[in-house]
Amino acid sequence: MSGTGRMEGSGTGGPLLRIEGLRVGFRSADGGVVEAVRGVDFSVAAGEAVGVVGESGSGKSLSMLAVMRLLGSPARTTGGRVMFDGQDLLALDEARMRAIRGRDIAMVFQDPQSSLNPALTIGRQITDVVRAHRQVSGAEARRIAAESLERVGIRDAGKRLDAYPHEFSGGMRQRALIAMAIACRPRLLIADEPTTALDVTVQAQIVDLIAELRRDLGIAVIFISHNLQLVAEIVDRVVVMYGGKVVEDGPVEAIELRPRHPYTGLLQACVPNLTGPVGPLVAIEGAPPRLGRMPQGCPFSPRCPHVVEACIEEMPPLEREAELRFACWRPQ
Amino acid sequence: MTGPILSLRGITKSYAQGTAFDRLFGRDKRFVALAGISLEIARSDVVGIVGESGSGKSTLANISVGLTRPTSGEVLLDGEPLSALMRDHGGPWRRRIQMAFQDSSSALNPRKSVSRCLTETLALRGVPKPEREAEALAMLALVGLGAELAPRLPHELSGGQRQRVGLARALAMKPDILIADEPVSSLDVSLQAQVINLLSRLTRELGLTLLFISHDLALVRTLCSRIIVMRKGEIVEQGPCLDVLDRPTHPYTQLLIAAVPKGIKGRRQQAATVDIASPISPARESAG
Repeated sequence: MSGTGRMEGSGTGGPLLRIEGLRVGFRSADGGVVEAVRGVDFSVAAGEAVGVVGESGSGKSLSMLAVMRLLGSPARTTGGRVMFDGQDLLALDEARMRAIRGRDIAMVFQDPQSSLNPALTIGRQITDVVRAHRQVSGAEARRIAAESLERVGIRDAGKRLDAYPHEFSGGMRQRALIAMAIACRPRLLIADEPTTALDVTVQAQIVDLIAELRRDLGIAVIFISHNLQLVAEIVDRVVVMYGGKVVEDGPVEAIELRPRHPYTGLLQACVPNLTGPVGPLVAIEGAPPRLGRMPQGCPFSPRCPHVVEACIEEMPPLEREAELRFACWRPQ
Repeated sequence: MTGPILSLRGITKSYAQGTAFDRLFGRDKRFVALAGISLEIARSDVVGIVGESGSGKSTLANISVGLTRPTSGEVLLDGEPLSALMRDHGGPWRRRIQMAFQDSSSALNPRKSVSRCLTETLALRGVPKPEREAEALAMLALVGLGAELAPRLPHELSGGQRQRVGLARALAMKPDILIADEPVSSLDVSLQAQVINLLSRLTRELGLTLLFISHDLALVRTLCSRIIVMRKGEIVEQGPCLDVLDRPTHPYTQLLIAAVPKGIKGRRQQAATVDIASPISPARESAG
């Protein structure tokens, strides 16, 4: 395989993606750096689906943008490594990163409207991606694009290639973006809140589609969401983030049924069900910490019902116990 | 008065579609946002209106408060037609029906402090100037916010705090009816619960009539006693909230319930990838 070819697994049997001590900061007005992602570690195995769950400001999207090397000023990566196939993505030059982005790792964003160029046809936007990574003729690129559109459940894909984004509904636009993302058969798909802008029925379809693509094509998936119930439907493992840190991480069943970090439990409890008795909701009092005002200890300590002095003074380490990893001085 | 506090009688709303050219040649079509809605809301009722985008639920809200005029039909506030009441722009009816909006950042004037936003509203209600400051703080306390927020500007508040200020402003008019259009959908789940609990408490303590517009069935189930399911400008199902959600009869209600994320219990065996028409532009969907 030539130097421009697709990277193949190094055969070490390690994870596909390993994020180690990732830190992202913003340059503040006084010249200092305000950290929003404060040392994130987790890994994704080949073909695995991982949900990254957290509220706004938890650092989940910033972490993934840092992995893709898509952070814009004033945000920048201030530390850590992102190992993909045995090499550190953060250390690659831009040309090599560009070869990986879109081919080995693809990303789908929250708002399908603003992710598409309104002035270009859907087909042109997909073939552009294909031709950026593969030496194929225009006709072949178009064939691949049509196949991708078909793959994501858009009927009459050949004709739809000539449609413009405004001729698609929100759900179809998101399907088109997913088609673009899988056109080069990436090994990792990062989906950042891909259903938040969509209606509930369309949301369910897109979630099913991502599950199906992962199953049929063996693509590893990182699904970022604020909705634990939603990601739990399709992922193997959940990473819960709060205040720029991973606070809990483990198999989805354990996270949903026996979470150890109080935040994970409350995050589930505050979302009402469609069954069971009706009563006041469990509310988490207060608000998530604001950038630059992170508590010294555990970021959740100001809102945690189980807080003790140690929580306020020192951030607990992320430690493994049985199948879960959690960062808490008073696990439940 | 024992009649319904708010009645909608045969409300329709349609918008012109197509270019001026199409209209000139009579080829324009009208987009029907509401296709003849009739409903009655009793005093102190807590009613949830659910549906997807394009269902007409927000149009219904805007018509109910007089922000949008219906194409035909009549809104009655305590038996009096809103169209007649509206001739008196600042009339007392304005105070009685208030609205809280979805987007808490665009609903507040970015240049006015929380305190000014509330005192101006209190002035409209006719509260004497010396009492306004204290009353504003009382309104903040009612929605669970401290006095320290009073001098702040909207951008200095969190989303949940802004949403509560929006509610405090609506409640400052001492309305009989509050219409809340997706008041929590832009909030994080931990803040959603706070606002829902607050609305629940206000309806109980103040006897407020609430029209809660949402796409979240579980939140409606928590808060409301009655539910109205809308689709493409029509009411497809309505009734007591728990009855409808436990035993939905209309396929659309069943579809909405099936689409609610259910965690590991909701793992679907078979992926459904049917390309169903969007409620907004069904015509375009089926076009090749």
